[in-house]
Amino acid sequence: MRKAFLGLVLLTTLAAACASESSEPIASGTDTGSPTSTVPVDPCAVEALPLYAAGTLTIATGNPAYSPWYAGKETAEGAGEWESSGFTGDPYTGEGYESAFAYALAEEMGLAGEVSWVAIPFAKSFAPGAKEFDFAMQQISITDKRAENVDFSAGYFDVNQALIANEGSAAIGATTLADLTDLRLGAPVGTTSFQAIEELVQPTDGGHAYDDLDLAIKDLKNGQLDGVVVDFPTAFYGYADVVVGQFPAVGGVQEQFGLTFSKGSPLVDCVNQAIESMRAAGTLDALKNEWLEVDTSVPTFT
Amino acid sequence: MSRGGPGPEVHVPRGTSGVDPRAPDPLPGRSSKILGAGGRGPWVALGSTLIFFGLITLLVVSSPGWSKPGGVRDLFFDGALFRGSIWEILQGFVVNVEIFLIAEVLILILALFLAVLRSLPGAVSAPLRLLAIGYSIVFRAVPTILIIFLLGFGMPALELRGLPNGPNADIFWAIVALMLVYSAYVMEVYRAGIESVHPSQAAAARSLGLRRGQALRYVVLPQAVRRVIPPLLNDFIGLQKDSALVALLGVTEGLRQAQIEQATYFNFTPYMSLALVYLVLTLPQVLFVDWLIKRGVRRRAAGAVT
Repeated sequence: MRKAFLGLVLLTTLAAACASESSEPIASGTDTGSPTSTVPVDPCAVEALPLYAAGTLTIATGNPAYSPWYAGKETAEGAGEWESSGFTGDPYTGEGYESAFAYALAEEMGLAGEVSWVAIPFAKSFAPGAKEFDFAMQQISITDKRAENVDFSAGYFDVNQALIANEGSAAIGATTLADLTDLRLGAPVGTTSFQAIEELVQPTDGGHAYDDLDLAIKDLKNGQLDGVVVDFPTAFYGYADVVVGQFPAVGGVQEQFGLTFSKGSPLVDCVNQAIESMRAAGTLDALKNEWLEVDTSVPTFT
Repeated sequence: MSRGGPGPEVHVPRGTSGVDPRAPDPLPGRSSKILGAGGRGPWVALGSTLIFFGLITLLVVSSPGWSKPGGVRDLFFDGALFRGSIWEILQGFVVNVEIFLIAEVLILILALFLAVLRSLPGAVSAPLRLLAIGYSIVFRAVPTILIIFLLGFGMPALELRGLPNGPNADIFWAIVALMLVYSAYVMEVYRAGIESVHPSQAAAARSLGLRRGQALRYVVLPQAVRRVIPPLLNDFIGLQKDSALVALLGVTEGLRQAQIEQATYFNFTPYMSLALVYLVLTLPQVLFVDWLIKRGVRRRAAGAVT
C-alpha cells in the first residue's frame, strides 16, 4: 500500500519534471526567433523571414476550396488533395482570386512565387498551439472580437454580403431587411454571412447554420431555405438563380478579408508590408478584375 | 443478469424487498467504496488523490502553451466568454432536449415492437424475424452521422406528400434518424431482457390458460423490461449526446450555437460551456443507472439468501 503510494507520487513528480524540462528548449527556441545582437538590415529580407518552411509560403485553406476564390485543377503538384468541380478548385493552380493573390504575395515577398498549401478544418486557423503553416487564408473576415485571439494581416479584399435565392422563392423581390424577417435564411456556420443574418435580418426562426456552403445550397435546392447569404463575389458564381440584394455593412464598417496568424506571429509585419505595396501598385485591383465578376447594380437592402 | 429461475423476484413487493438495512453488505468483496475501507485507509486515499490530481493540474498549468497570449488558457477557459455564451447555448440546447425526449418515446415503442417481432415463434413468422434481424444489423452497422446526412438531405428532396418538406423538415428527419439508429440498439436490449426470462415462466403462464400473446404481455415483458432498465438508460444517455449531430442539418441547437460563438470570437470556450451543460444533464442519469444496478445486485443477493 505504502509502496504503491510512494510509486504514485514518484511517477507524477517525474512526469511533471519531464514536462517542465521539455518546455525549456521550446521557450528558448522562440526567443532566438527575435532579432539578437546582429540586427539584419531588412527584417523582411527573404533569408530573415520567420517562415514555417524556408523559402516558401505555407498557406492553410479549406478543402473543398470554393470558387471564385479557387478554380481549376492542377495535375502535377497538388494532385489528389483538392477536388475540382464547377464550384471548387485546386489552390495550386494560381487560379481564382485567393490562389492568384497567394502566388502574387509570395512573389512580392521575394519567395519567387513558392507556395505550398495545407488543407485544414476552419477551426484550426485559430486553434492554440504550434501550426504547420504560416497563416490561414479562407475568406476569413477581420473582426475586433476575433482579433482578441488571433492576429490579422491588413485586409486583402473588401467584401459585402449578398442574398441569393432560386426562382419561386419568397425572397425574390425583397428590398428591405424587414422583408426578410420571416424568411428561412441559411449560411455556413461561423461566417460573417451568418452574422449578417443574425445581426442585420434577425429572422424569426433564428437562421440556419451549416457546416459548409454546399450543404446550405443543398437545403436551398430542397426548398428548406428561402435564401442563402454568401459573400458578394460568390453570389455571382451560379450557386442559385438570382442575386436578390446585398447587405449594408454590419455596424457601418467595411468588411475585409484578412490572412489569419497565430497571436503574436512575427511574420505579420512583413506580410502587411507586401500587401500594402501590392495595393499601391494596383495589383489587388487587377486580381479582382481578373477573377471576380460582380454586378454592382445589385440593390442594397435598406 | 441472465440467471434462470427468477421466481422469488416476481413475488417480491416493490420497495426495499425486505433487505435489512443493518445487515452486512452481501457482497463485501465487491465493495465499491471509492476511498477504501475503514481505519486510516480513507485518509491515505484522500491524500494520494489530492497529490495525484494536484500534480496533474500543475502539469497542465505549468506547460508552455497554457498561459501565453492566445494559449490554451485564453482560448479554452475565458471566463467572460463563458458567462457571455452560456445563456445562448442553453437556449440552443432546448432544441436538443425536445429532440431527444421525442425520440426516446418513439424508440421505446418501435424497439419493443421490433424485439417482439424478432422473438416471434413459428416457421410462418420467419420473414418478420428476418426483417427485425436485418433492421438491427443495418442500423447498428451504419454510423449515425451518415443516417442523419442521408435522411436529412435526401428525404426532403423526394418532395413526398404528407411529410414535412419545409420549415420543420430538418428536425423531423433528425428525430427519425436517431429513432431508427437507437431503436436497433434498444431492440437488442429488450431482446436480452426477454431471453433472460426463463422459458418456464412462459410455460407456466400457458398452462394457466393464458394465450401466447397474453403470456408475453403479462408475464414475460414485465420481468424483461424491469431487468433492462439500466442498459436502456445507458443507451438514452448515448442518444442525448448524439442529438448534437442534428446540427449538421442546419438546426441551431446547442452544438451549432456553441460553434457560432466559437467562430465569432475565434475561441473554444463555448465548447467548454456546452460540455458543462451535457455534464450537468447526464451526470444525474449516470449516477441513477449505477444506483439501479447496485440495487438490482442487492435485491438478487437478498433473494438468493432467503
